[in-house]
Amino acid sequence: MFGTTMAASGGEFVAPGPNSFDFSKQALFHIGDTAVTKPMVQLVLGALVVFVFFYAAFRRATLVPGRLQFAGESAYGMVRNSIGRDIIGSHDFIKFVPYLVTLFFFILINNAFASIPGIQFPTFSRASMAYALAALSWLIYNGVGIKKHGLLGYLKLQSVPSGVSPVMYPLLVPLEFFSNILVRPVTLALRLFANMFAGHLLLILFSTGGLFLLEYGGIGYVAGPLAWVLAIAISFLELLVQFLQAYVFTLLNAMYISGALADEH
Amino acid sequence: MQNLIFLAEGSEPTEGGHAPENPLGFVPVEAALSLVVFGLLLFLIWKFVAPRFEQTFAERTQAIEGGIAAAESKQAEADARLAELEKQLADARHEAARIREEAREQGAQIVAEMRESAQAESSRIVEHGKTQIEAERQQAVTSLRAEVGALATGLAGRIVGESLEDEARQSRVVERFLADLEASNGTTSGSVN
Amino acid sequence: MDGNLNMIGYGLAAIGPGVGIGLIFAAYISGVARQPEAQSRLQSIAILGFALAEALAIIGIALAFVL
Repeated sequence: MFGTTMAASGGEFVAPGPNSFDFSKQALFHIGDTAVTKPMVQLVLGALVVFVFFYAAFRRATLVPGRLQFAGESAYGMVRNSIGRDIIGSHDFIKFVPYLVTLFFFILINNAFASIPGIQFPTFSRASMAYALAALSWLIYNGVGIKKHGLLGYLKLQSVPSGVSPVMYPLLVPLEFFSNILVRPVTLALRLFANMFAGHLLLILFSTGGLFLLEYGGIGYVAGPLAWVLAIAISFLELLVQFLQAYVFTLLNAMYISGALADEH
Repeated sequence: MQNLIFLAEGSEPTEGGHAPENPLGFVPVEAALSLVVFGLLLFLIWKFVAPRFEQTFAERTQAIEGGIAAAESKQAEADARLAELEKQLADARHEAARIREEAREQGAQIVAEMRESAQAESSRIVEHGKTQIEAERQQAVTSLRAEVGALATGLAGRIVGESLEDEARQSRVVERFLADLEASNGTTSGSVN
Repeated sequence: MDGNLNMIGYGLAAIGPGVGIGLIFAAYISGVARQPEAQSRLQSIAILGFALAEALAIIGIALAFVL
């Protein structure tokens, strides 16, 4: 489907497609029957990096922080205060802070793998991994809401809009239910996946396209380097997108939790 | 989750050939691994990192608040001490005023006493003088009376040429004379005084 | 040059969310410009609106792959 090809007189340029994200034919090693691929290793590596960073930062926590502890505290405090406290509210945000911190830094480091030389593959451009995180988010925010309001109370909270005349209910209630319960996890997963997927695809396209143009010669001697310059610019854009996606994923989680915890209005 | 499975099922390759993997396809192994790794990381952060951070945070807050509390108690102590000093100062001022007042009173009393005693002394001296004068006058009068009697008798005898040796007569004459004298003397002295 | 008509459709479908996201951030920027102290409140609302508008584009890309 993505296998768009561009006919060129010198040769055929094969545009990058979903095949660039398919590692099933290039397993690194096997555990039993399961092929272990590069994204799986990255996932574990990312978790290790996050934990080691925080553990090292807080291993000898002192009142006056050292440089590493200060970095750890700034990172932790950003998620804790600007995402957790501001969105969920100071009453009961504290028990969600570890979840939000883990989520943010786990996604951030796995996204950043797209730009780290030698790895250069965003883990969450494998959709299944994003599905898993979104499913977990779905379980958590619904579980929190049901625990607080009861099943019926929670369904009422999420699907009956306030300040609307009951005449509109037949139209709005299914819509609200659909958007709050069903669509949220799908968009959560797909947003993360699609951004990483598209960003990586764009980078591959500009890099391999630049190379092809150089080999093609002629106008390619100008266009090829230009493509590479653009690839560098896009890399910086991607850095921003990587951060933003981790932030948005965590922020939306906090918002969903806060919405599930909200009192009846 | 149902949606995701639906997506995965709906993504069966439609083209023949080597069946390219759908990028939206659901790979159970990867999803499970993702959940497990995330769960482990969440557990570790929950167990080891978050309590440390919150503890450090609470300690720091406490340290700052403790510092504030200590400063407040110091301030209160200083205030108390200042108030005490001011009270002492006021007491001392009061005391000084009291002493001054007392001294003034005492001085006035002393002056009054002195004045009184001086008055008493002066009046005593005046009294004494008067008494002495009176006594001397009396003495003078007595001696004068005796002398005047004799003198006048002698003189009169000499003038009259008659003996006035007769005691009874003599004294009668003298008495009468003196009485006259005294009467005239009394009027003159009264007009003089 | 061969390709898939789905992708053309997706490109067209992405116009709507693109305009929507632009409007959201335009309103956010002018809001912050008028009232800088409200930035932290506006930011989360803007990102929520951005996420909701982007959801349409995401549903579009999913359908482009699936259909």
